[in-house]
Amino acid sequence: MKPEDFLADVELAWCPGCGNFAIRKALAQALSELGLSPHQVVLVTGIGQAAKIVHYMKVNGFDGLHGRTIAAAAGIKMANPNLTVIAESGDGDIYGEGGNHLIHNIRRNLDITVIVHDNRVYGLTKGQASPTAPAGYRTRAQPFGVLSRPFNPLSLAMGAGFIAQAFSGEVEHTAMLFVRAIKYRGFALVNVLHPCPSWNRVQTFAWYKERVYFVEESGHDPHDRFKAWHLVQENSDRIPIGIIFEGPQEPTWEEKHPVLREGPLAGRPLLRPQEISSLLAEFV
Amino acid sequence: MARSIFRSGLFLHGELSFHSRIRGGENAFTLRISDHPVYATKPMADLLLVLTPEMWRAYREKLHKGSLVVAEESARAEGENVISIPALKLAREKLNFPIAAGVILLGAIARLLGLSQETVSQAIREVFGEKADPNLDALDIGWGLVSDSLFELPAPQFRRGEYMLLTGGQAVGAGAITAGCRFLASYPMTPGTPVMEFLAQRGERYGIVVEQAEDEIAAINMALGASYAGARSMVTTSGGGFALMVEGLSLAGMIETPVVIHIGQRPGPATGLPTRTSPENLLFALYAGHGGFSRYLCAPATPESAFYLTIKAFELAEKYQVPAIILTDQFLVDSYAVVPKISPERFRINDHTLSPEQFAQFASYERFALTESGVSPRALPGLSQHLVLVDSDEHDTYGRITEDLTIRKAMVEKRLRKEKGLQRETDNPSVFPEDLHGRVVLVSWGSTLGTVREAVEILNTQEDCFAHVHFQDLWPLRWKGISEVLGEAKEVITVEGNAWGQLGKLLRQETGIRPSRHIGRYDGRPFTPEDIVEEIRHEA
Repeated sequence: MKPEDFLADVELAWCPGCGNFAIRKALAQALSELGLSPHQVVLVTGIGQAAKIVHYMKVNGFDGLHGRTIAAAAGIKMANPNLTVIAESGDGDIYGEGGNHLIHNIRRNLDITVIVHDNRVYGLTKGQASPTAPAGYRTRAQPFGVLSRPFNPLSLAMGAGFIAQAFSGEVEHTAMLFVRAIKYRGFALVNVLHPCPSWNRVQTFAWYKERVYFVEESGHDPHDRFKAWHLVQENSDRIPIGIIFEGPQEPTWEEKHPVLREGPLAGRPLLRPQEISSLLAEFV
Repeated sequence: MARSIFRSGLFLHGELSFHSRIRGGENAFTLRISDHPVYATKPMADLLLVLTPEMWRAYREKLHKGSLVVAEESARAEGENVISIPALKLAREKLNFPIAAGVILLGAIARLLGLSQETVSQAIREVFGEKADPNLDALDIGWGLVSDSLFELPAPQFRRGEYMLLTGGQAVGAGAITAGCRFLASYPMTPGTPVMEFLAQRGERYGIVVEQAEDEIAAINMALGASYAGARSMVTTSGGGFALMVEGLSLAGMIETPVVIHIGQRPGPATGLPTRTSPENLLFALYAGHGGFSRYLCAPATPESAFYLTIKAFELAEKYQVPAIILTDQFLVDSYAVVPKISPERFRINDHTLSPEQFAQFASYERFALTESGVSPRALPGLSQHLVLVDSDEHDTYGRITEDLTIRKAMVEKRLRKEKGLQRETDNPSVFPEDLHGRVVLVSWGSTLGTVREAVEILNTQEDCFAHVHFQDLWPLRWKGISEVLGEAKEVITVEGNAWGQLGKLLRQETGIRPSRHIGRYDGRPFTPEDIVEEIRHEA
């Protein structure tokens, strides 16, 4: 399958210059490189500009509620581990409304990939600060500037087996990170930094371009959790992109579950009469 | 004890009442023995077994003149009819097994009740399994402490295999397994949790994934994800947890993905009385969810109907691709009853999804194709080259986001059309006696069936002018017929375990019939028939 085979032929409702176009392109390229067919993939999204990507791709889609993206993705993976499940949405969705699901699915370690479009701003609701917005960032809803500290998703995700950061301005690199994340057998998070030309006038394309650097060129060892921790805590003007951490393969939730060892739940036949009789015999 | 009575061929109702703490507090099990099926508890005790001083203080007022009390010595129960037994001391000294004190007391009351020791031994073996031996010794000790039976139990009414002993919670769980439930996600909340534990313990055997979610919002979204991917899914919770699920309920309506929601009701608002009972979420369950969509709502009356209605909830959820809500309460979930042998054959369980072969035959697959019934052929993702897309935004027939106002209108109508089909599947309320003409009709729903029926029978012994109409299916109903039947009544009184009369409001809205009064119990304890009789007579 070519990358174009994963793109839906529909009108895209994103703003000109939005980083989402590049992320869409990178995802299509990654799915193509992985040798997947559209029907083997379920893209789960929430609500927001980023979440619309499900309608612009040609794969199975579950466009659920704002914030509940990872929860729905977890349910899908539990019911049918044969599907390649990608949960994708914005920083407001995954880190704001849905923060609890991120924490607990890092714990579960299902083989799902979470892609977060991180533009540090709420686009669809017109420009409010997101959890990753820098302190002092002024919007119509935060007239005194953001008083809270920005949320550091890579730092919180340190318990996950695979953590990466991408920049939408580097499409090939982003596609490579998507491939590695999807290939990783376990919970993988890719935080994709991207500009929002409509609302974020501070973290622009040029602003990112000046600051990002490839960790693979800086001698970072992604298999060392302590070095990874150090990297995401660094308080500098430079922003690392690449694989921050890739842990050893551990059994996933679905691999450990005795019921799922016998195959997906989807497609199992209804119980046979003798199974029901043995269940009801408990009460006789 | 309940099992011994059941093994003796007798009917029983066992009601559990407890405080919201891990140990101690006032915990009680009210066991009613009968020669016919009973689904109600009683206010007074013929035989009271007392374990602690707190229990003695709380329950001595439940005694009548002829009552007998068997008490653990340290409970310091005093009175003419009190048999005091040093069960703790005996268990410690003779068995070196203090926890068996309860079985010593059980042995004593079993003999007083006139049960056979063999039957009780058998019940202990069934309950304790490998750990039965010290408990059988305890039974011997207790048996030897009293001489004769002081009660006369009815003769056995049935043979083994003809009836079943189970709680409402077990029945919901067994119904779910029978209906093909493959996935349950829930956050623990009393009294919804017994259903989660029932499925979790049998998951490996019957192929069910049970996951404790991080919160109720996750639970319903996981269940919807699993259902979309092809696993029959359910959640179990109580009113507060359901409140958190409501956006997910609305999502189920929008993406037309089946899910079964069990709500074990307890008194609210907010945290309320966590371990007590109150059927007070009827209107909440019926109207929860922003926007309009079809749903099925039922409230089983007994463990038997809890089994069947749970199957029906799964079946209707799958057939009509809607959320189905089962309303029980702590009283039903935790109470044991002896019910006619349940059998899965009463409801046909069908697969309502497209087979991979059928799915592959579509030229292009529309998940939300417009149909006369409102129900579109449902395919599962990954089973053919076709793609399955669902969307919480308004969407076109392919599931793609749209703001086309013509499509929006067609989709609203499609989602609501399903109610017509559902309406044909629900049962009208049970009416007793058949002709309501000129009678005072007590109207109730859910777990109070047995209680209200008994109250009506008691009332009719004095003046035969009362009747009972009881709802188990609650939405959608064929209200015109119900209105005609109830219209014959001289007077309509609602009897509900809540303070407002929620069914009364629904009746008035749907039929124009205005109940003349509401009898409610809302202290967190279940109604007894005597409560209702007293209220009716008091007013008259």
